[in-house]
Amino acid sequence: MKCHSLIVMAMLGGLMAHAQTNTPGALAAPRGPTRISSDSGEFDLAGHEAVYRGHVHVDDPQMKLVCEHLVADVPQAGGHVNHIVAQTNVVIDFMDKGHTNHATGDKAVYVYAEQDGVTNETVTLTGNPQMENDQGTLTGDVIVFDRLNNHLTASNQRMIFRQNLIGAVADTNSPVTVVKTNSPPGTVDNTNKNISNNIVDPAY
Amino acid sequence: MNAKANTARITLIAGIALLFAAVSSGREQQNGVRHASDFISTEYYEPPHQQKIKSVLSGAEALPQPGGLLIVKQLKLETFGLDGKLEVTILAPECIYDTFKGLANSPGHLQVRTGDGKFRIEGDGFLWRQSNSFLTISNNVRTVIEYGAKTNLKP
Repeated sequence: MKCHSLIVMAMLGGLMAHAQTNTPGALAAPRGPTRISSDSGEFDLAGHEAVYRGHVHVDDPQMKLVCEHLVADVPQAGGHVNHIVAQTNVVIDFMDKGHTNHATGDKAVYVYAEQDGVTNETVTLTGNPQMENDQGTLTGDVIVFDRLNNHLTASNQRMIFRQNLIGAVADTNSPVTVVKTNSPPGTVDNTNKNISNNIVDPAY
Repeated sequence: MNAKANTARITLIAGIALLFAAVSSGREQQNGVRHASDFISTEYYEPPHQQKIKSVLSGAEALPQPGGLLIVKQLKLETFGLDGKLEVTILAPECIYDTFKGLANSPGHLQVRTGDGKFRIEGDGFLWRQSNSFLTISNNVRTVIEYGAKTNLKP
């Protein structure tokens, strides 16, 4: 049980690192620019909306995203991009604690909102979403990544751990351990509990 | 197209027409239509904000063509909000502007940036619909979004 808890924490712990706060009055660290490239684009400068089509690449200090179709709001002067929808063959890569995290899905929705001094920033993956790093793979119906708190939530999650990284069993023929968790939708916190209740023998 | 857009378009066209009649550096061409250099055309909001600048169109050179078309070189279009803040700047080395339809297009390069400079777009080959501020870029679209503090410029 402890071993699996550690695995989950190791896999998701990277996402928990460098935690920021969304409490009122929090100071946001300065960040580099976000760059978007595509084959073509349409920009409604009155309606403040940008549509990118074909080989869309987003290069952000926190992540890289590739898709075929992306819609983003155009910020007004002094504003922030509040809403981005990426669709079709969405691939997101981000580094954390030296681990490359690789996420895929049919659709990703980025939402940035400030209300009453509280900032929220999330990325929601749907359409066969999957998140993978060198320690394992997480899939589910919906994967939500809270960027400010580095908090991951997945509904109907399924986790596959790479066994050779935990050193649990030497010379095993089984490359991975699969853990199917039950509802309710998991968070980092209750995923540990779910895993604890779904122990899989590493030697299996 | 609604009446407001029509009025705005007519205002701009009238401005350009006056511009071509008034530019001192212009020279007569064979067809009798003037060629303008280093021109500026200012468009104002409709009443009751007629004192406020809506857009400023400038260029290094304008070559009138049949059918109300203009070949504009070193195009610079700046739009302003009612508060006077610079909203968008559009730059193009060369484009064809349709004064009747309010369309600008070019196979060449284009740069667009918001007033605070934090949102910048560029690409190759574009169509600009002035009536609804809608821009289509055909190739090599690149956008940069910055989050640092910059100030707005007023006209």
